[in-house]
Amino acid sequence: MVLKANTDHWNRERGPRLETVVFRNDLDPAEALRLVCDTEGEVDIVTEVSPADAGRVRDSQHARLVTTDAMRLVVGVINRDHAPFDDVRARRALNLAVDGDKFVKEGFGGYAYSTTGLTPHYAAGRAPDLEPYPYDPGQARRLLQESGYPAGRPLILAALPGMDGLADLLAGDLRSALGVEVAVVVIPEDDLLAAQHSFVEKVLPAPFDVLLFAWFDLTSDAPAAFMHSWFYGAMGAFRAGPPIPEFDQILDRYVRQTNGAELNALDEQMDRLAHTQALSLFLCAPQALYAVNKHVSFVGHATTFEVAETEVSEGHWSRRQA
Amino acid sequence: MAETTAEATVERPLRTPVGTVHIVDPHPLNWLYITWNTMEEPVRTDAQGHLVGAAMEESRWIDDRTLEVKMRRGVRFQDGEECNANSFRRAFDEVQRWRAPHPPGTSLNFHPQTRLEVVDDHTLTMHFPEPDGLILGKFRGFHIPSTRFWDEHGFGYKKLGSGEGHW
Repeated sequence: MVLKANTDHWNRERGPRLETVVFRNDLDPAEALRLVCDTEGEVDIVTEVSPADAGRVRDSQHARLVTTDAMRLVVGVINRDHAPFDDVRARRALNLAVDGDKFVKEGFGGYAYSTTGLTPHYAAGRAPDLEPYPYDPGQARRLLQESGYPAGRPLILAALPGMDGLADLLAGDLRSALGVEVAVVVIPEDDLLAAQHSFVEKVLPAPFDVLLFAWFDLTSDAPAAFMHSWFYGAMGAFRAGPPIPEFDQILDRYVRQTNGAELNALDEQMDRLAHTQALSLFLCAPQALYAVNKHVSFVGHATTFEVAETEVSEGHWSRRQA
Repeated sequence: MAETTAEATVERPLRTPVGTVHIVDPHPLNWLYITWNTMEEPVRTDAQGHLVGAAMEESRWIDDRTLEVKMRRGVRFQDGEECNANSFRRAFDEVQRWRAPHPPGTSLNFHPQTRLEVVDDHTLTMHFPEPDGLILGKFRGFHIPSTRFWDEHGFGYKKLGSGEGHW
């Protein structure tokens, strides 16, 4: 797909600064990464660089790594329909069982932030006094026992396709901290659509205790509109468990609130409720990573991928050829 | 969400765009990112994700069910047509035809009983049957293309005959 600049765009301060943008859909991500790192003139920007590939980009002759604090979330959806995870003690046990620093370091190469709830620390509406759950295996095991977790029952940890490594990392912590067997089930790509339908429709019981899940937001201004309401609201597509009346009462006020400050106060209330009730297994907010040609100036965005401010220096291949 | 930061129309000399970049974007929302790179919306997000005015210069609640929208002057689509309150009106009429136009779901829908009144070429009011605190976020997914887009393409109309799930 080829985009040509609108030279009469109203926002002259911003751009467009490029004459032509070509989205190449003929390359797989691995080949694209090779081309941006090892060549010039083929690929200038690759999005969604894996943390595992960050070092390769940093060491590249032609590309540099751009990192952006993004409105993205990796979270464990806890199935509150299943005992004992209808009990807040069991849900807190899950949160206390995970070494968040290790998860960020080993799972994301450090390119992520631990989260206290569903709201990253750089978004509006975060409760500033909340801290991530500490890593406390002893307390985690005690709480799980108090919640009546049946002896010998394996914990089912499901994961979206491609999240195998993160699931294994998480399973290791849960096994060692909680003293339970953990069965990791990665949803096959071919079954994903059916699994999504089943999860969203909620007609069949969800076949997991924890679902390792990734989500995003379209703005940083009202996290509950696209995060909390989706995970916990009565109409929330990703709610796993019965509706939560206290949450829905706040949400009902939220969607009618036209004052920005009041809206964010309600964002904060919802995130605080999620944290204190351990409604999810709170993991991290990953950064967005880009491999960018060294002659390209690119500004990463928290909620989108935009190129209006992107420009190239005189040394860029497209200008040398001109 | 209830307010946007104003982004002034700065009168600067036209910048001459130069250069070409090749992008590989495997993100599943690539279709949406291309839409945001090419169409007008009332609002956009800045690099930190905060809402700022775009085709809409400002808005204010007249009461808790009536929102006044002031469109930015001097906005033109790439085909030369002016983007104004009538463009907003056309996009509103088009999107309201469908039950679930947005792929992420109906949470981005305007209430089906919303009424829109064009006051003048750059001012309109939206009348909601109930307060909508999330309206500015919904504006982020409210694409405003030129008349030619609607007449020649629409969101999937010509090819598939439906706009459901195509916004």
